[in-house]
Amino acid sequence: MLFQTPLYPEHINQGAKLVDFAGWSMPLEYTSMLKEATQVRKMAGLFDVSHMGKIEIKGAQAEKFLQYLCSNDIASLQRGRMQYNLLLNERGGIIDDVMVYNLGSYFLLVVNAACASKDFSWLRVQGEKFEVAIEDKASFYALLALQGKAAAPILEQTLDSAVLTLSYMSCGVFYYSDFGSLLISRSGYSGEDGFEIWVENEFARRLWQRLQEVGRNYHLALCGLGARDILRLEAGYPLYGTDMDEETNPYEAGLGWAVKLEYKDFIGRSSLEKLKRKIRRRRFGFVMKERGFARSGYPILDAAGQELGVVKSGVYSPNLAQFIGNGFLDSEYAVEGKEVFIKIRNKPYLALTKKFPFLKLGVKKEG
Amino acid sequence: MAKLYSKSHEWVEVQEGSRARVGVSDYAQKELGDIVFLELPDVGKEFHKAEQFGTIESTKSVSDLFLPLAGKIVAVNQAVIDNPALVNQDPEGEGWLVEIEIEDKTQLEELLSPQDYRSFIAQEH
Repeated sequence: MLFQTPLYPEHINQGAKLVDFAGWSMPLEYTSMLKEATQVRKMAGLFDVSHMGKIEIKGAQAEKFLQYLCSNDIASLQRGRMQYNLLLNERGGIIDDVMVYNLGSYFLLVVNAACASKDFSWLRVQGEKFEVAIEDKASFYALLALQGKAAAPILEQTLDSAVLTLSYMSCGVFYYSDFGSLLISRSGYSGEDGFEIWVENEFARRLWQRLQEVGRNYHLALCGLGARDILRLEAGYPLYGTDMDEETNPYEAGLGWAVKLEYKDFIGRSSLEKLKRKIRRRRFGFVMKERGFARSGYPILDAAGQELGVVKSGVYSPNLAQFIGNGFLDSEYAVEGKEVFIKIRNKPYLALTKKFPFLKLGVKKEG
Repeated sequence: MAKLYSKSHEWVEVQEGSRARVGVSDYAQKELGDIVFLELPDVGKEFHKAEQFGTIESTKSVSDLFLPLAGKIVAVNQAVIDNPALVNQDPEGEGWLVEIEIEDKTQLEELLSPQDYRSFIAQEH
């Protein structure tokens, strides 16, 4: 059986192509994922990402607990702000990448759909030693992502100007009689300005429809997971399960910035202190110079045909009109502008290594 | 002459004499989604009936292309190689893939008429 989000009837009405993703029946695309991904960079796109996990952490030791479980510095996470974090195992491998919200009286973790039950069990087991209450809240809410430069005017017109007070990586609860309590953050996975909105199931369709109505004046596109994957790779963001797993450490994944070895003790810290000094490979981007679709699992070769690594993600980027991808490369090759070859159906295709992001992003990190 | 179809969703349209155009059906392009890459053979190459003559890649998948009948490649549509989206826009017209010299015209009889192809798709669904 596949889970359906509260917006499933909307997807059916819109004729979305559905795909099984981590046990959920989700829209892959409504019309064309290439057009959808283009529209997000030009104007705006609306995504149903209700499959994401939502775990609440409460209790007197909630902060202390998260400080011990997460790689980033939770103590510096102010109320009304959110922070990118990694849950690590003792070996320093990545269990999941998560977004932590500080909502004052409690913390919220937004986790990958495929990892939700694994994360929940891990948190529950680790939580036994702390004074915390851990609850899985995913089934009560839908999550909508509104992304693109027109996201702000669309949301303002749908709700009110209060939402514009949110700066990048800020979050807050807003009440509207039509939509109930909304947990809104200025964040996303596209590299553009945008919002992510948690809405109670019963109001989800109304909010989706209202955003679509208002969005009509802004050429808002309904977007599926296909466009989401293209946009996140154009932005250079890793995808858990594809680009990294429990055998990947944060440094080789390019996520060392989210690890605070110097400030605090946390699970995986002692392993990472040793690993940090001997990083041999790094997640790095490439752009195809010869037309070819570099798909996950294809070997990356040097000019002599020696294998340097493997492609983890690859897409056709409609915003660059080029095939792009990322994979793990030996440190020597993990610099901009190196010639590498992607082996596609036994033929080498020329590519040039490229630093992330692949294109100029609209998201404003300051403020 | 009307188009004929294979069960692997290619079409054939005889132009003149034993020369024919080959492409993928409208149904196939819809199922594939956005087409982003085509690998087509060089002119002069010969293929058996139902032999793989190329590869078509969409944002979602890689699929083999099969020649619905034996023949020699006499032309390749450079326009679809340069702009694969043309196959989505006009799969059974401007989005043709190759032209062949048919080896044995009796093989045409083994292909599906438009009506038969439609009912074949309906069954598959």
